Amino acid sequence: MDLVKGGRLFPMTRHWPAHTTVLVVEDDAATAKIIQVRLEMEGLRVLVATNGMDALEIFQREAVDLVATDLMMPAMNGFRLVQEVRDLPPPKGRVPILLLSSNHSEQDMVRCLAAGADDYMAKPISVQVMVERLWRLYERSHRAG
Amino acid sequence: MAGLILVGAVMQYRQDRRNRYRIARYQAWETRLSDFLFRKGYEHGDFGPVAWADRWLFRDFLARYQSSIAGEESELLRGLYLDIGLHASLPRRLRDRDPRVRAQAAKEIGAFRLDEPSEHVAPLAAERPWRWKPGLRLEGYLDRVLPLLDDPVPYVAHTAALTLTQSRNLRYAAPVVAWVMREELYQRERLLRVLEGFGPGLLPWMKDNLESPDQNPGPWILFALLAGSHRHRESQPRLLWLLDIPNVDLRASVLKALIILADPAIYPRVLAFATSPAWEIRTQVARALGVLGGPSAVPDLMPLMADPVFEVRRNAAQSLVDLGHAGVSALTWLAEDPKADRFARDMARERLEWADERGHL
Repeated sequence: MDLVKGGRLFPMTRHWPAHTTVLVVEDDAATAKIIQVRLEMEGLRVLVATNGMDALEIFQREAVDLVATDLMMPAMNGFRLVQEVRDLPPPKGRVPILLLSSNHSEQDMVRCLAAGADDYMAKPISVQVMVERLWRLYERSHRAG
Repeated sequence: MAGLILVGAVMQYRQDRRNRYRIARYQAWETRLSDFLFRKGYEHGDFGPVAWADRWLFRDFLARYQSSIAGEESELLRGLYLDIGLHASLPRRLRDRDPRVRAQAAKEIGAFRLDEPSEHVAPLAAERPWRWKPGLRLEGYLDRVLPLLDDPVPYVAHTAALTLTQSRNLRYAAPVVAWVMREELYQRERLLRVLEGFGPGLLPWMKDNLESPDQNPGPWILFALLAGSHRHRESQPRLLWLLDIPNVDLRASVLKALIILADPAIYPRVLAFATSPAWEIRTQVARALGVLGGPSAVPDLMPLMADPVFEVRRNAAQSLVDLGHAGVSALTWLAEDPKADRFARDMARERLEWADERGHL
């Protein structure tokens, strides 16, 4: 099924299971809101945190299926957050993580992936592409069991 | 005294009122923007009216998204910016006496990509301004930013350079490279970040357009550093050619780039510079040998451990640590050898301690 929005087409090839939860960690409230609205359109439950510390607290408390986190944040940055999540026992420690960064350097990309992130997107990001990548990560993690 | 306190209180009150108003507007617009981008806004066809008095506030609101949102949403944000019609005042604002206004104008041109063609529509603002000129063309804005490269305020010139590079239009490469070359030497590596905005396409342009490195090696140093930061393997033949130019700074920069490109096939070319009389070159060679040669570079790194210059010894020792078992064994042997060069032995001990503290051993 496709959702047509006044001539704009959102292909709905994704079939998210009910109650799939995404944790969005972004210190810029304006960007977080845009991402949240788009993900909610997909039928996802979206939790928003503005820094790594809050995100970790939410992550431990709630059942989160996917994480999309910014890299540069106050209190605890994206690298630390990824490491802290990966240190948790499975299944929580294996939740797919998408890192978003405004730094485009190759070193940062390698650092992100080496820290345990599953994918990386350089800002500015297309929210449409981000949704697609989250879907791929979700699909892959569930196929792997 | 009481008067001063009163004035301060009034200023604080006005500031608070402005902030409250801004926050209220932003909150209202955020909801409308989400609807506009993804929900019913599309079905209705527009964002809704923006009061003429709020147009500057609305510009700042939109600009917040430009660094994080791309793709189709970014195009829609650009359309909203054009709808409020503020771009009509850009030519005047680029010449404003206040440097903050000039810099902001340059930033807007870059953020909203105002040199790209777009269908021009009348503003949404409820009251049309008298200075609104329908049919204003968008082309030519970047040409108007160009004079700001000579602005007496460094921040304005820097913003103008960023705007020009973000356009990725190589028509502006020559003036921006010239601007970087006019800056102090110590600033140039920082300004590389600006040139990186042009993307790797700048490197072939530089290859074709820069003066001979014999006459003017400065821009070729930028070329080498950019080739490294973009990891541009296609530039390696030109980098090797530049190694033949007898200029210490140029050779050192080329070696830095070759370290990043990490092609083992060029190891013999780099090794030839291990005995260079210039310590700046030997310092880079000490790093390069480890990266390019792997464990087989240990015998070539050992003589550099006894170099009279501290930086060369430190880089050689660091390379050995980074090589893992083979390099650490060599360092340990050196640290315990009473007949070894005193400086080499001290450096070996220092690096081994350093690596041990960080759990690298």
